[in-house]
This record gives sequence, C-alpha cells and structure tokens, in this order.
Amino acid sequence: METEVLIIGGGTTGTGIARDLALRGIDCILLEQSDINSGASGGNHGLLHSGARYIFKDGETAAECAEEGALLKKLAPHCIEDTGGLFVAVEGDDEKYIADFPGMCEKYGIPVKPVSYAEALEKEPCLSEKAISVFSVQDASIDPFMLSLDNLADAESHGAKLLRNSRVTGFEIRKGTIACARVRDIRTGNTFFIDAVQYINATGAWADTVARMADAAIPMIYSKGSLVITQDRISRRVINRLRKASDADIITPGGTVSIAGTTSVEIDHLDDIRATAEEVDHIIKEGAAMVPELSTTRFIRAYAGVRPLVKKENGSGRSISRNYTLLDHLADGLDNFITITGGKLTTYRLMAEKTADMAADRLKNDNPCLTSTRPLPKSAKGEWTEPGKSPKIWSSSPTAGDTLICECEMVSESMVDRIVEALKAEGAAPDLEEVGNRSRIGKGPCQGTFCSFRLAAYLYGKGELSDDQGIFQVRQFVNERWKGFEPLVRDKELMRVELQESFLCGLFSMEHSNELMKGYDDEP
Amino acid sequence: MTNPDNGIYNVAVIGAGTAGTAASIFASQRGLSTIQLGRPSEMSFASGCLDLFSIIPGETPKFFANPWKGIESLLDRNPEHPFSKVSQKEIKAGFDAFSRFMETCGIQYTKENDANRFIITPAGTLKPTWHVPSSMSAGSAALKRKKKILITGIKGLKGFGADQMASTLKSFHPDIRAVTVQFPGREKAGDLMCERLAWDLETPHVLEKFAAVLASHTCGAETVGLPAILGVHRFVELKEKIESIIKKQVFEIPTLAPSVTGLRMKEAFLAAAPEAGIKTCSQSVKKIDMDTEGNFVFHITQGLEKERITAEHVVLATGRFMGRGLCIKDGRIREALFDLPVTGPDSRSLWYERDFFDAKGHGVNRAGIETDPCFRPLDANGDVFHPRLFAAGGILAHQDWKREKSGSGISISSAFKAVSSIRKGS
Ligand SMILES: Cc1cc2nc3c(=O)[nH]c(=O)nc-3n(C[C@H](O)[C@H](O)[C@H](O)COP(=O)(O)OP(=O)(O)OC[C@H]3O[C@@H](n4cnc5c(N)ncnc54)[C@H](O)[C@@H]3O)c2cc1C
Repeated sequence: METEVLIIGGGTTGTGIARDLALRGIDCILLEQSDINSGASGGNHGLLHSGARYIFKDGETAAECAEEGALLKKLAPHCIEDTGGLFVAVEGDDEKYIADFPGMCEKYGIPVKPVSYAEALEKEPCLSEKAISVFSVQDASIDPFMLSLDNLADAESHGAKLLRNSRVTGFEIRKGTIACARVRDIRTGNTFFIDAVQYINATGAWADTVARMADAAIPMIYSKGSLVITQDRISRRVINRLRKASDADIITPGGTVSIAGTTSVEIDHLDDIRATAEEVDHIIKEGAAMVPELSTTRFIRAYAGVRPLVKKENGSGRSISRNYTLLDHLADGLDNFITITGGKLTTYRLMAEKTADMAADRLKNDNPCLTSTRPLPKSAKGEWTEPGKSPKIWSSSPTAGDTLICECEMVSESMVDRIVEALKAEGAAPDLEEVGNRSRIGKGPCQGTFCSFRLAAYLYGKGELSDDQGIFQVRQFVNERWKGFEPLVRDKELMRVELQESFLCGLFSMEHSNELMKGYDDEP
Repeated sequence: MTNPDNGIYNVAVIGAGTAGTAASIFASQRGLSTIQLGRPSEMSFASGCLDLFSIIPGETPKFFANPWKGIESLLDRNPEHPFSKVSQKEIKAGFDAFSRFMETCGIQYTKENDANRFIITPAGTLKPTWHVPSSMSAGSAALKRKKKILITGIKGLKGFGADQMASTLKSFHPDIRAVTVQFPGREKAGDLMCERLAWDLETPHVLEKFAAVLASHTCGAETVGLPAILGVHRFVELKEKIESIIKKQVFEIPTLAPSVTGLRMKEAFLAAAPEAGIKTCSQSVKKIDMDTEGNFVFHITQGLEKERITAEHVVLATGRFMGRGLCIKDGRIREALFDLPVTGPDSRSLWYERDFFDAKGHGVNRAGIETDPCFRPLDANGDVFHPRLFAAGGILAHQDWKREKSGSGISISSAFKAVSSIRKGS
C-alpha cells in the first residue's frame, strides 16, 4: 500500500488531520488500532471549552480555546449543543481567585458576565444554596463521536482512506527517512506494510510508544481522568467550579444525560484504563458541593481517558501544560516523521491545521488550509452513543413481528441481521463484541444479562458462532459492560448485579468452560 | 394448626425463597404452628434442581463429583462456612424431608447419594447439581451414558439456542445435535414465553401436534432435550405422553426467568401449604417489634384489615440484596430487618473483582451475618442477638452459593438445623 501521508491514530486529531489534508488535495491513509475514538477522544468530558478554565495557568490555551470554540460553533453546529456555561464558587472557595476571575477572562478575550444568585438559580435550579459567586461564560457541549465521524466522512469523500483494527507495530528506517510502516491487522493477525512520503503520529497517549518505534522517544506522563454519566440530565448549562482547576470541577450536559468529572491520577501504562470506585465517590462528593443532586441521582456508566502530558520541565499531573505538542523530529534525525499530541478536543482543528501545514510544507503543497472557513458537512454516519465506547454507526427501529433481542434498548433480530451483513461486507467477524459496538444492545438497565445471551443464541442459529465461542464472547460482552458499571455499584445496584450473577454463574455456570468438569466419570 | 390456639405462632418464617420454604416445611413437620411471609418472586428464577455443593472457587477452582468430599475439602479451607454447622446426617435429613414434601406435591427428584449430576443449561454449559427434578433426569443420564442427544429449540423462544447448546457441548459430548421447530398454533408470533407454551401444552390436541412435529426430527436420537415447557401442573403426565408418542426419552432444560420450573415449585408449595398447616402470606415484612414477653410482633394487611401477628420464633430467610435481607446503610452492608452486623469487605472498592467472572468470586458475596452453631444471629459483641431468632440461607456469611453451586444445600441444611433447634414453648 502506498500513500502520500500516513496518519496514525483515529481520534479527533487524526480524523481532523485526514480531513485537512484531503481538502488540500493530499492523498492520505488513516490507521486506527481499534475503532474511531477508542482513545481519549471517546473518553473525555465533551466540553467545548470557553477557555475560562485555563486563564490563570495557561493563557495561551485559554485564548486558543476561546477562538476555536467560537469557530466550531459556526462551522460544525450540528456536533455542538450551545448550552452556555456557568462558573460557580461555593462557600470556602478561594476569594482571591473569585475576585481576579473576570479580569483574567477579559485579558485573554474570553467573554464573561457576573450573574446574581437569584438569576443563576432561575437558570439552573440544581445549584447549591452554598453558591457564593456565579459567572456565565460561553461553554458548550460537543459530541466527539459525531465530530470524528463527520471529519472522517468528509475526508473520505475527498479521497482519504481509513483502516480500522490496524496497528502500527514498527517502521523501517533508511538513512534518517522512514521507508515504510509495519502494520498488523489485529483481527486476523496478518502483517502488511504501508509506504508513505510523510508519517504523522497522532496517537495521543500512545505517541511515545509509536515514536519509540522510530527511535524518537517523547518523555511524557500519563494522567488518567475518570467521569460518570448520570441517568438523567441535571442541568441545561455546563457547570464549572470557580476555583483553581482541580478534581470533579465540571458537569457537562449532553443529550439526555450529564457527565460529571474528572479526576487526575498518574498511571504508568496504558493497559486496562478504567474508572475506580474511589474516583467515582470522589467525583460525586466534590461535584455535589456545586450540584447537591449528584449525591442522590442514578448513574449509568463510569469511564476514563488518558491525558498525555509531554514533559517540558519538571512537574507532574495537572501543572504540566495541557497545550498541544507538535514535533518535527528533525533533532531525532528523521526527516519525514511528525508527532502531534496533547491539546484539547476544543482545539483539535487548530492542531490538525498546524500538523497538516508541516506535512504540506514538506510535500511542497501550498494549497491553503480550508477547515477554518469551510463548514463541516453533516454525514449520516455519526450518532450519539455513550461516551467511553466506540461510536454507534447504525440506528433504526424494530419492525412489528420482529423478535427483540435486547428488550431494554429495543434491538431486534432484523436489526442484528443488518449489522451482521454490514460487518461481513467490511470483512469483520460478526461476533458479540462487534455487534455490540454497533448497536445499543446491552446498554440498558440489564447491562447484558439477558441480551448477551440471546444475541449469542441468535448468532449460533445463523451459523456465525461455533464450538464454545459463545461462552467466551458472552463473558467478554458482560465484562465490557461491567467495566463501566462496577465503579457505580453502591446501593440499589447490588440487587441488579446479584440477579445477573445468579443467572450467569449460579444457574448457567458461565464462569467455567465445560473443561472443568471433564473426566468427572473417572472419579470414584 | 393454621390459627394457633393462643394467637401466637410458634414460628414466623420471613422469606419465600428456598430457605424460607424449607424452614416452613420443617417447622410444620415438627408440629409447630407456622406462618410464612414474603414475596415468592425469587422462586420464579429457580431451575428446580437442588444443588448441594460442587465447586470450591479460587484461582484454580476445583470441581467435586462427590459433594461430601467437596464439603470436607471446603471446610479445610473455609472453616467458617455455614456447612461447618451442619453434619452430613443433618444435611441428608434436611434434603430428605424437603424432597419428601415436594414429592407429595408431584415434584420428584432423581438423586444419587454420593454423586453430583450434570444438567445442560441454555448456555450449553454443564451445571453440576445434586437432586435433579425427574423432568430433567433423562438428560443427566444421557450425558453420563454418552447417549445420542437431540436438543430441540422453538422458533421465537429467544435465549434458548439449540445450536448454541449443541455446538458448545460437542467437545464434551460428541453425539449431540440440534434442531429448531415451530410451535403449533404459534408459528407467527415474534416472541414466545415459556410459561405461555407450558399452558398451551396442557391442551391435549396442542400436545399431540407438538409431539408430531418433534417426531419428524428425532430420527437417530435416543434422548430429546426440550426447553422446560412441559406443563405447569400436569408435567409428569405430559412428559410421559410425549415420550409415548415420539418413542424417545425426553428431558427438560431450565430456561431464563421467569422459568416454568420455578413456577411449578412455587405453585406446588402454595397449594400444599394449607394442608400442611402452613399459613402463607405473600407480603414483605418491613419492621418487627418485640412484646414484653420477648415475642416478635409485626403487622400484615389482609384485604382492608391490618392484622397483628405474634410469633415466639423467627427464622430470618430474607436472602441477600435481591431478597432485601441485606442492604446498604451509609456505605456499609447491614442486615435489613434487625440491623444485625454483617461480616464482609470494609470498603466498596473490595466488593467486586474487575473480571465479573473471576474464578475466585466477588468479596461482597461472602458477606453476611454471623451465627452461633444453631444458626442464631450474633450481635456486634459476638453474643446471640435474641435466643429465638434464627437465620437460614443466602443471608449467612462465609459462603458464595453462586460459585459453589450450593444454594439449595445451604438453604435447606441451615433451615433444617435452625428449625430443629426450636423448642416449642421455650
Ligand atoms: C478525562 C479527559 C477529559 C477531557 N475532557 C475534555 C473536554 O471536556 N474538552 C476538551 O476539549 N478536551 C478534553 N479532553 C482532551 C481531549 O479528549 C483530547 O485532547 C483529544 O481527544 C485527543 O485526541 P487525539 O486524537 O489526539 O488522541 P486519542 O483520541 O487518544 O487518539 C489516539 C488514537 O490512536 C490510536 N493508536 C494508538 N496507537 C496506535 C498504533 N500503534 N497504531 C494505530 N493506532 C494507534 C488509539 O487507538 C487512539 O484511537 C479530555 C481528556 C481526558 C483524558
């Protein structure tokens, strides 16, 4: 396979770069090791920052957020819910910070307005009576799945190509130039090669891992942030805590839910990223200071993402700049490798533009960047799904007489048939995981207790599963739901989990394969 | 015995799951005036099998074909397990008394004293159990004797995938195959429920048609497995009738809730209870007080009347979280009715493993109440909470019935021991 630019990483940054390059007439391939937005782009807060959160620590980021946020509201309005936002200080919060806040916002060109408590309460009845100071800003909520899928769709319509489930595992380098990238199809295990003129590493938290494959290590710290999704939407606006940025400061509404978070936990490696019970408790406790309802409401899922913080000087966690890092790797002795990492969802377009500028310059292509002026077309691809997971690509409703496989979320046999066909057309295996990723099966109150099972039975009936694959796939499916639910089990949830385990383990012995019982006849 | 002479029941059993049902049966068999309270909802999940014990959970779980050897080995590792408070003789006596009662209601079991048997589940897994209801026993026998099995699914009955079962079992039992048939009169229905089909089959001509459909597929098979739909009341008769038409042995496979097998147990017990002198009331008890004599007092609503119930003894068989025997107060696990202390993991971060199916089982499942040797709950100081309060079943600490496959075993044996310790008029 050959292309002009190989982009590694299918998050908001990678898909943004693909669109930017394609609009400049540059041929590119986008590689993603699993699915679109399976990294931080699917594990974030969904806040289109007004910039006000960064005014004290990082004025540059604050100003960039303000500018890009305003631009995206114009160019990609269908991905954004322009909710507006409030900054709220409660009793005990730092008075000096509160007093300096409006002035600092103005300094970086961030529109801000003081709001009286009465007016704030009218706007957002959920606010705590302990609120002592409120300002309104231009925050909004953004659907990162729709954003990435629409960027991708526009890129594809201009010639770009996406390869999912394709992981870069190494590079062949000749005299300071990457000759090709070695890629593994993680489903088949097959290895293939892609020759490109320029290579862009847009792998977010994995940027160092990938750069090391080209002997160009990037010292970085991983900071995990966790979030919880409420069953019902709590507020109309984004609600921020008016204090020096710390944990559980933000509640972002999105569609019918609200997302509260986040935390900042330094981690050593990128396997098995998940929210923990302690983090969830912390988010709820801290968040309830601004919005007391958080301590009584129901939650449907917890998830986590990783912020890649590139070490510039000494320091760790939140004090490191969250501004993006664009590296030309010339000092590493490489002339066709570029890394873009860090930054924000809010500034993804700007990051993509700067990265594409560097690549285009090297390719001697002087077509201008079009993403700052051309609206992002709405595609049929993107649908809101739960954060922390890959996007839902199909949606439709069941027809009469069609047996429901998932009763909570109304997914029927014929809908599964369509998903199976589409998966096969893509060359993907129609297993429980893939069908789950493309539908709302298992995402309702039963969390897969019944539907995982019915789906397996149905797929066996269609000949898509064989031998004892079903046992392992049901386990994997249930565990994927469990990952996001376990940290939320605090009270009433215990009943549901007990029911689920009574069935799957008590009644069906799904925790073992039949191997455990082999040879029982031999025992006296 | 339904209305005790002095208005005071000897025993009130709180809970209508296996432990509560067993405790009521044992109490009535001992001539104690008995009232049982609680919603029998959990029963509708029951497979109908009576498990005793077969697996020690752990990093490498161990399966025991012989339940007694299993219990011996379990107690070496886990000396506080509820089985430590009952002898083999008591366990057997409890199971005998329980199954004798069920047999009078028409539910028969096939059992071997020293061996667990397997039943096929809708997942195609093998589940070890001890007493197998006779409607399922041909399946266990066919597995053991390596007979040719045909699993029959029904179109529209989701969650019962005949192909899934046959494929999954193939490596364990090569002579197995699957077919999915249409249910007569319900060919067009998108979604079928087991209970509906079970009622359908109680009609003779439906049964005959269904048997005819089966007969056209059973060539080459020796034993035919069906979802548990063979009638709600006349299941023994219906099974025999189908067998005589298709000339093969037939066995049932328990299904997802609500299950017909659970329904049968519930209906059979409720029908036999009055004659056995057990008063039943399907209400949950929210609060229990004490009178000056130290008797237990609570209220139930009968129609519009509020009735005051007094009992000398209480058997707490309220189960775990689903049964509402256990609950969470201020982030800690407590017992719901008497606020008894619960042994278990301190913080909720220790409740569960990351892998839902972790072979060790989850810490929260071993939480429960502590008791003395005759199953009287202990207070925070380790003293008996009340001399006439007993506990049985899932609410007990130091067990994980879901993983051990010991649900009925713990329920029946603890209920037996508890009730045996009750002295009338004490
Ligand atoms: C908890 C949290 C909350 C946040 N909240 C907000 C917010 O509210 N607003 C905001 O503006 N920003 C927010 N951010 C920041 C924002 O999510 C990220 O800046 C943005 O999503 C980064 O996108 P990306 O494409 O650079 O990285 P990612 O989305 O991580 O994409 C990298 C991709 O590379 C792929 N990849 C890795 N290695 C390979 C390989 N070898 N081969 C092929 N593919 C590979 C990964 O699978 C992944 O999909 C938040 C971040 C976190 C962690």
